[in-house]
Amino acid sequence: MAKVPEPPQNDLLKGTLDMLVLQSLTVQPMHGYAIAQHIERLSGEVFTVEQGSLYPALQRLQKQGWVTSRWGESPTGRRARYYTITAAGRRQLGEKISSFDRVLTAIARVMDGG
Amino acid sequence: MSLVDALWFRLRVLLRPGTYARELDEEFRFHLALEAMQREHGARGALSAADARFAARRRFGNVTTLTEESRQMAGLGFLDVARQDVRFALRSFRRTPGFTAVAALTLAIGIGANTAIFSAAYTLLLRPLPFAQPERLMKVSLTTPPRYGEPAHDDRPWSYLKFTAFRDAQRIYSDVSYYTDAQATVRGRDGAERVAAEYTGATYLRTLGVRPALGRDFGAEEDRPGAPKVVLLSDAFWQRRFNADPAAIGQALNVNGEPRTILGVLPPGFRGLSGQAELLAPLLSQNEDWYKWPWSHGLTVVARLAPGVTPAQAEAEVRRLGGVVDAAYPHPEIPDEHWGAAARELDATRVAPVVRRSLLVLLGAVGLVLLIACANVANLFLVRAAGRRREIAVRLAVGAGRGRLVRQLLTESVLLSVIGGLAGVVIAWGGVKALAALDPSTALRVQRIDVLGAITFDSIRLDLPALAFAAALTVATGALFGLAPALLATRPSLTGALKDDGPRPRAGGARGLSGRTALAALEVALALVLLAGSGLMLRSLGKLLAVNPGFDAERVLTLRFGADGVGRDSLPRFYDQLLARLEAVPGVRTAALGDCPPLNGGCNGTILLRRDRPLPTPGTEPSVGIHWATTQWFQALRVPLKSGRLFSSEDREGGRKVLLVSETAARRFWPNEDPIGRPLSVGQGGFWEDTAYVIGVVGDVRFGTLDSLPDADVYLSYAQSPNGRTMLFLRTDGDPLAVAPAVRRVLAELLPESPVYDMRTLAARTADARAYARFTAMLLAAFAGVALLLATVGVYGVISFAVSQRTREIGIRTALGATRGDVVRLVVGQGAGIALLGGVAGVAAALGATRVLRSLLYDVAPSDPATFAAIVALLVVAVLAASWLPARRAASIAPVEALREG
Repeated sequence: MAKVPEPPQNDLLKGTLDMLVLQSLTVQPMHGYAIAQHIERLSGEVFTVEQGSLYPALQRLQKQGWVTSRWGESPTGRRARYYTITAAGRRQLGEKISSFDRVLTAIARVMDGG
Repeated sequence: MSLVDALWFRLRVLLRPGTYARELDEEFRFHLALEAMQREHGARGALSAADARFAARRRFGNVTTLTEESRQMAGLGFLDVARQDVRFALRSFRRTPGFTAVAALTLAIGIGANTAIFSAAYTLLLRPLPFAQPERLMKVSLTTPPRYGEPAHDDRPWSYLKFTAFRDAQRIYSDVSYYTDAQATVRGRDGAERVAAEYTGATYLRTLGVRPALGRDFGAEEDRPGAPKVVLLSDAFWQRRFNADPAAIGQALNVNGEPRTILGVLPPGFRGLSGQAELLAPLLSQNEDWYKWPWSHGLTVVARLAPGVTPAQAEAEVRRLGGVVDAAYPHPEIPDEHWGAAARELDATRVAPVVRRSLLVLLGAVGLVLLIACANVANLFLVRAAGRRREIAVRLAVGAGRGRLVRQLLTESVLLSVIGGLAGVVIAWGGVKALAALDPSTALRVQRIDVLGAITFDSIRLDLPALAFAAALTVATGALFGLAPALLATRPSLTGALKDDGPRPRAGGARGLSGRTALAALEVALALVLLAGSGLMLRSLGKLLAVNPGFDAERVLTLRFGADGVGRDSLPRFYDQLLARLEAVPGVRTAALGDCPPLNGGCNGTILLRRDRPLPTPGTEPSVGIHWATTQWFQALRVPLKSGRLFSSEDREGGRKVLLVSETAARRFWPNEDPIGRPLSVGQGGFWEDTAYVIGVVGDVRFGTLDSLPDADVYLSYAQSPNGRTMLFLRTDGDPLAVAPAVRRVLAELLPESPVYDMRTLAARTADARAYARFTAMLLAAFAGVALLLATVGVYGVISFAVSQRTREIGIRTALGATRGDVVRLVVGQGAGIALLGGVAGVAAALGATRVLRSLLYDVAPSDPATFAAIVALLVVAVLAASWLPARRAASIAPVEALREG
């Protein structure tokens, strides 16, 4: 049986995606497409995950209470769902960034030492 | 507030899953539209709109997968899975309608029978008594030491004076009251009617926490001798006699010949602790004054615990107070006989022990039936899972989680049990109706135990607790019979099943097979326990039915009538006249009077002195049953005269006093002697001071129960000992009830304004006495029958499955020269193995289990060898029959076909 390639959904990536979404929302409330655009633009298109995988992440974040959503009107006049980061979401983001920093520092130290 | 946000989100998703799905879809489409627009725009005409949309889709990912993932993230995953599983299960049910029907029906019978019996057990044993705070109510009784050759007794009624001594001395109860049941004659425009009544203390209702639905309760001023006479009506009586007219309050009702003012109406369904009262009246307002004597015991005392007092404390204190009462009223004749008092929770007196025991036995029996049903369905599932082995293996191989598969299989089994449960409720509904129609009260009064009449079979119904029980049972059985097959079927030994093309027995298969064999053996064992129990009960019933009760009940009409208007001294003459008139009625062959019908659960008793012997010490006199009869009574009931003569017209008041004795009495008191002519005194009927002489010996009659040996009985003549307590016995030429109208006319003529009541054929009375024993035995036999059927089907299923699995092996054996006989022996041998395994385990279990039947069995030992031999034989035949059919199929397998098939 041919091995189906693992979908890019391991915990590290999941956590990273959550962090990126939260970070994006600190700028302003956005709809899903705008979040995707924002992440792609800022990461220099390094993150080329399927855009759609943003949405399961958004459900997860809402279920945790880190993000809320409501329907609003987009500039094109179409109805769109806008996401807002909550205070708990900001706290969570801070924790994620600092633990991420620790991991980065650790990796850098290992690499340098090698 | 993240918690609030989170909760709100989850709630919205769960409550409006439809809206959630629509919005997610809209969001995806919005995203895709913007992305497509962006690309088309960015390519500046190099990309068609369709291509742009396609590219956007590719960039986005699989919409279906992402939708599913999002839903799972949002917390809807389990719903999707459940819906999928249910749909899958329904589809597989539709594919195998035969399997589904058999399994569901099996479960329906199991769950239905359990629910019905549970309803009965709940009503009779568990449902809180219909009084305020019933757990605070206690019954207080007098206790007596062993005397008159009878054992000690701890549940005797009170006399009024002893009750007052107790009431005034106690501090543990906030309310103490009493009742005594009686019959009362009500006269009115609709004629005279005999109804059940209770004479009570003024605080009776207050003690129970019951308030009249209409009008008011008794006041203390009405519970005094000479007080204004008042009465409370039952709801049913009020509806019947007054058409539920509230204006009845304040009217007068003629009770026992005197007007009583109607104070109020009791709440519907409440008929006193006796469960039968139509009228309640204060005891002390009666004209009779039997309650003025400290040794007239007839009151049942009920008490409500004072706040803070525990039942155990009360029990101890009541024991102490028993001594106080005894000191106030010492035994007048036997100085060293001391009575005591005992208290027990009212709830403990709700049904006779025999009912409790038999209900628990039945509950255990239906539980076993359900277990067998579960084993059977589990077996069916295992067989089916074997057929699906490849499917399951493939699904496991492509990455389906084992938990996911187990869950799916469990959904299937629980769904099946829900179908079975729904059908089971229908079965239970019918069963409960049948149970409620039983009226074993007559048969049970028999036990001479004072139980609460308020708890009756006709209050059995399929109520909320019973339905909740059915629901819990349904889910539990679904899990029980589903879990093992699900776990076995998904055992991760993939490669075997995948490599394997045909259903050949291998390691895994063999393990499954032995699991199935074990289940079948378990079924056989359980069925054997039930068969043993019901076999014993049936044997006991057979012996009970074969008991000669000592009289002929066929074509005898019995009834009672009120003779209040006839003076005591004119009774003998009146009886002569009445019987003569009744014998003139066409169709009546013999008319007679007796005071107590046979199989009544006991009659009047007293003590006896043999005047030609030294007097025994007081308290050690032997006790006898005492009866009043006319000479014709023995003819009407065909009770044989063994020696001497019956009463004659010379045996009248003022003449030499004479007695008849039963054979048992003759044997007990005059062993190896002739009792005729012996001088006697008995403690009732004016025969204590005088000496009477035995003139004849008559055959034994069972006045108590069928299963208790006849008492030593003596008979007095109505002519010599006038007695207003009578029952008419009419032997007729044809149907006894056919003479009823003419008999009523004669009575109405001689005794105008007197009620005629309790009219039944003697055959119906005796049937009552057998009804409960028959009910238990028959129900148990029905359960055992179902169990045997299920077990047989189970064995058949296992063996025929094994044969289908071994087709190729059998083909090879046949090809190598095995004869048909060899093949049949091979297959039947497997059945015999199951029978042996299950049989040995079953007999061992049954020997232990049937001991609980001891108190329900008449003249049969719980380990009766004949019964055990018979049921083991029955089971062996059933199992062999179940394996015979598959064996014949196996023997007719053509080797070529079998090999080609493989």
